[in-house]
Amino acid sequence: MIDVRNVSRLYHRGVDLVHALEHVTLHVPAGRFVALMGPSGSGKSTLLHLVAGLDRPDGGEVVVAGQALSELDEDGLAGWRARHVGLIFQFYNLLPVLTAIENVELPLLLTSLGRGERRERAELALRAVGLAHRAHHRPQQLSGGEQQRVAIARAIVTDPDLLVADEPTGDLDAKSAEDILTLLQELNRAFDKTIVMVTHDPRAERWVDTVVRLDKGVLVDDGGLGRATA
Amino acid sequence: MTYPRLVARNLMRHPLRTILTTLSIALSIFLVCAVLTLPSALDAIMERAASNVRIAVHHKAGFTYWLPGAYMHKVRNLPGVIGVNEYSWFGGVYDEPKNMFPNFAVDPETVEQVWPDYHIAPEALARFKRIRNGALVGDDTMRKFGWRIGQNVTLKGTIFPIELTFEIVGTIGGMANPTMFWFSRKYLDEAMESRGGFNRVGMIWLRAASPEQVDGIVAQVDALFRNSEAEVAAETEKAFIGSFMATFQGLLRVILLVGFLVVGAVVLIAANTSAMGIRERIPEIAILKSLGFRRGPILAALLAESSLQGLVGGLLGAGAAYAILEALRVAGKTGFTGVLGPLGGFRMSPGVAAEGVAVALVVGFVAGLVPAWNGARTNVIEALRRLF
Repeated sequence: MIDVRNVSRLYHRGVDLVHALEHVTLHVPAGRFVALMGPSGSGKSTLLHLVAGLDRPDGGEVVVAGQALSELDEDGLAGWRARHVGLIFQFYNLLPVLTAIENVELPLLLTSLGRGERRERAELALRAVGLAHRAHHRPQQLSGGEQQRVAIARAIVTDPDLLVADEPTGDLDAKSAEDILTLLQELNRAFDKTIVMVTHDPRAERWVDTVVRLDKGVLVDDGGLGRATA
Repeated sequence: MTYPRLVARNLMRHPLRTILTTLSIALSIFLVCAVLTLPSALDAIMERAASNVRIAVHHKAGFTYWLPGAYMHKVRNLPGVIGVNEYSWFGGVYDEPKNMFPNFAVDPETVEQVWPDYHIAPEALARFKRIRNGALVGDDTMRKFGWRIGQNVTLKGTIFPIELTFEIVGTIGGMANPTMFWFSRKYLDEAMESRGGFNRVGMIWLRAASPEQVDGIVAQVDALFRNSEAEVAAETEKAFIGSFMATFQGLLRVILLVGFLVVGAVVLIAANTSAMGIRERIPEIAILKSLGFRRGPILAALLAESSLQGLVGGLLGAGAAYAILEALRVAGKTGFTGVLGPLGGFRMSPGVAAEGVAVALVVGFVAGLVPAWNGARTNVIEALRRLF
């Protein structure tokens, strides 16, 4: 599903050059629920962004579902993300001017679906995360856990192959965090979604199949996933 | 969820800001429409006031120079001329110098021949011919001083060293200047007799039998007095009024310039507001991009917001300008002509309204262009970092 091949990423911080990732190689098979863990600045979010097609490596290659992301220009990557990736962020990042169901419906604007069909799918996604009854509430009227559920509904509404989650429980209390992790696990198991999740939370290990550890931009533990396929 | 709904929701994110920006655009478009109405309104006034068969003859050096009285007789017999009269500026003031209005000595005998479109009542005209100190007065001047028909009024000459008392015998209406005051030339001559007489006229008015004869008469009059002691300039009434209006052209240009500077200032204000609004939403734009929205649709949605704001402002501004000018016009017809002056005659054409709305749309589009362009080019990773 995901092949990360000898990937490096550099950042300029003032006059300094920071090696966010150095020659990382990783293979994630389809249907896995993988946690990327490591201390702050270890490069886990950078790796997540590269896998999601939000960023480009300075060296190496990322291939997802057979698509080499380096072959796509910016608009091509945007289209690819719309079809293949569902994104979940730490701070939910819902549009405050839209209701829950409108937020969920947003990615469907990029499809050829009609208005009625978009609304049906959004309702279905909200039901899947247990929030159908809050469909017409604005984000600011929802709790943090509820907002994250709406964000997950938005991520799955296009039925993507890959879900990427950047600290999805980082802003939640323990109970809500467990609920979210349980929901992600259900999505992984029931719908065979491949999930890559960045987390600091050690409790997350109970819900995921594999933990991959990074430190200072280097892959220190591949969790038994092994090297990328050729 | 649709793109138009997304645009509308974003516009109403800060209702007060949106309303104030829209109103500032509306106000500027109101001004633009009012300013753009001025040239056509002045043209309309001229078209309405000017007859196509009346000819003005004045001294070539300017209106303030007198012509020999004998010229009246010379032009009377030109082919195609069916009426001759004069305007001799008396320059009288009523009570005090600030009460100045156009008062002219005319020939009562040929008033209806030269100015049949001034709707002077036959009985008033008969009294004007019969009563040696009779005066015909425009409605605005009657109203301004509270005069009534039959009243005696005294004007003190500022050019002539005399005071004349007149009996108001009727009013002048129709297309005439509503501030006009006419009295008999014979009365002026009598008053000036003891001071050596005054055998001169200010301007001569001719009426042609048909519009086709006007150009020929103008040429004949010019030729008749060429190389004489006082050369004349003959012109149609429209050209004559136009030369008066020309003195307003400079002012009109300044007003137009100020109007467009106001639009420029509003563009900057709207652009600043738009930039502020988009800057606040950079993380949200990054979210849209991360979801797969491309630059084009994001740019279009952001431009649609500012353009829609411009359009609404334009419709409000042009609509208000139309409604107010129309209300003034109706008020002018129902007796407020004196208070409103030429404003009562202004009418905004649909073309000016369309221009106003188009300007507003451009204002909205231009104001949003740079901020929207920058917003649509947002780097997803850099913007997302601001969130964490």
